[in-house]
Amino acid sequence: MPDAAPALAPPVPAALAAEIRKGLANQLAHPLGHAVTLAISITMYLGLQYVMGQGALRTDLLPATLIAIGAYWFLQYSGQVMVADLIEEQRTGTFAAAHMSTAPLWAAMAGRLATAALFALPIAVLASLVPALAVGIRLPWEPAALVPYLLLAANILAFTFLMAAVAIRTPAVGAIHSLLTSLVLMLNGAFMPLALYPEWMAAAARLLPTTLAIEAIDRVLLDGASLAAVWSGGTLPLLIAHTAALAGCGAWLLHRNRRLSLADGRIGRY
Amino acid sequence: MSAITVTDLTKRYAPDGPAAVDGLSLTVEPGSIVGFLGPNGAGKTTTIKVLTGLLTATSGSARIGGFDVVRQRAAAMSRLGAVLEGSRNVYWTLSAWQNLVYFGRLKGLRRSAAGARAERLLTELGLWERRDEQVGTFSRGMQQQVAIAAALIADPEVLLLDEPTLGLDVAATRAVKDRLGALARDEGKTILLTTHQLDVVEELCDRVAVISRGRSVADLPTRELLATFRSHDHYELRISGDADVALPGGFTAERADDETVVSGRADDPEALYRLIDALRAQGRALHGVEQVQPGLESVFLTLVAEPSHA
Repeated sequence: MPDAAPALAPPVPAALAAEIRKGLANQLAHPLGHAVTLAISITMYLGLQYVMGQGALRTDLLPATLIAIGAYWFLQYSGQVMVADLIEEQRTGTFAAAHMSTAPLWAAMAGRLATAALFALPIAVLASLVPALAVGIRLPWEPAALVPYLLLAANILAFTFLMAAVAIRTPAVGAIHSLLTSLVLMLNGAFMPLALYPEWMAAAARLLPTTLAIEAIDRVLLDGASLAAVWSGGTLPLLIAHTAALAGCGAWLLHRNRRLSLADGRIGRY
Repeated sequence: MSAITVTDLTKRYAPDGPAAVDGLSLTVEPGSIVGFLGPNGAGKTTTIKVLTGLLTATSGSARIGGFDVVRQRAAAMSRLGAVLEGSRNVYWTLSAWQNLVYFGRLKGLRRSAAGARAERLLTELGLWERRDEQVGTFSRGMQQQVAIAAALIADPEVLLLDEPTLGLDVAATRAVKDRLGALARDEGKTILLTTHQLDVVEELCDRVAVISRGRSVADLPTRELLATFRSHDHYELRISGDADVALPGGFTAERADDETVVSGRADDPEALYRLIDALRAQGRALHGVEQVQPGLESVFLTLVAEPSHA
């Protein structure tokens, strides 16, 4: 066998950078669509808060829901970038073209995940900040909150990665992702703080790791709890374990689905 | 070293199912254009998918530039460009420029090298002025040209083109044909081409490999393949009215507009003279007598109907 010719650039970093650039360009090809979606959603959020406040915006309740609505948008948009785009690419065949890369598939998937994070983050920040500025409330800030924030982001991205690994063979996962995202929206406290939920519903909501992470952020940011106190409550270790399990399942599914798709010719094409 | 080597390739989609490709072997020499033909379901796309690393073979091997597409995937992929049938191949929401740089980076090019190569390819295509427009706004022919350019971005030795002219109009097909001819002639690219448009193959290809039911039924230089089937005793007579005479064995009559075409193989020249006499005796005017040679289409149909010419 002849020796491989030296690559002109390291394949993995090149593929990562290419996927991020392509993914962002793909999303920014229709900026107006994103702006309209965000504007409608912010208006609906504020309208809903106005109705629930019985004709007034409850500025004491808004900060907690704004944290939750930001988390929802991070989940929603990372799924759109990573899962919905992958399904679309499998349908049109461009994923097959991308698969003929010199870099391994995991590099392309890592690039897509990075794109999802890079695109979803500003959307989530805007979805939280714009309503806050509109009603004149100030979201508190505490550096210690970065830890639960990062864990929340990692958990959402691990979930998104798992869904994308399924999407390589199963386009129906797009509908399942939408369903789960809606469930998170209902149960993570984006409409009203969890404390106001009926007891059984709050207990059910706490089964969702995103809800737990949001509660942890609330405790640090709004209640002034220390990170050590939140950690000792067990929420954050649970979140780490859950994120690791999601990422592990995602990696296993990616490997399995790639192998099966290479065997039946469905890689890059359903 | 061969540019493409397929050795005893077999692919079954189900363990006990039929073989989509059954013990196929094929070599393509550097700088040649080979037409890879076969009826629908013959195994062409399966073979192309194995060569592009998108499908694993049940047994046998496939190599690009000497590199195994499974065990030496990165080296093989860096030498390969492909345009797949039924796929978009490029992103319609991205510009031509963004597409080419993206695919160049996926092949391991540095950004500056990908940009320089993209500029050259888009200039050659006459698309440089439209480089920032979304590919989705281009005509079907231009989209296919961008897909071929994306396949060429890393200057690969080998191009695999699965139905590259499918769905294109006459002008776009001509543009693609000219481009492929130039790629082999001027740049020494090796091209494996599958198409149902046999005029494209007859015009472009140095060699033709025909498969049927997953097996090779012919693999010859185009001229040699045509010569094998050509003979000097196949005639076509065009007469007025109907051919109400007993036709010699192997001859058929077909009505076409206001005349009848009688054609067949006349191994015995006397049989042809007797046929002409009989037609004249019936008062039919002889519009023409022509010695005809079969084109690639009739050769192809013969091969896939009777897979005994391998």
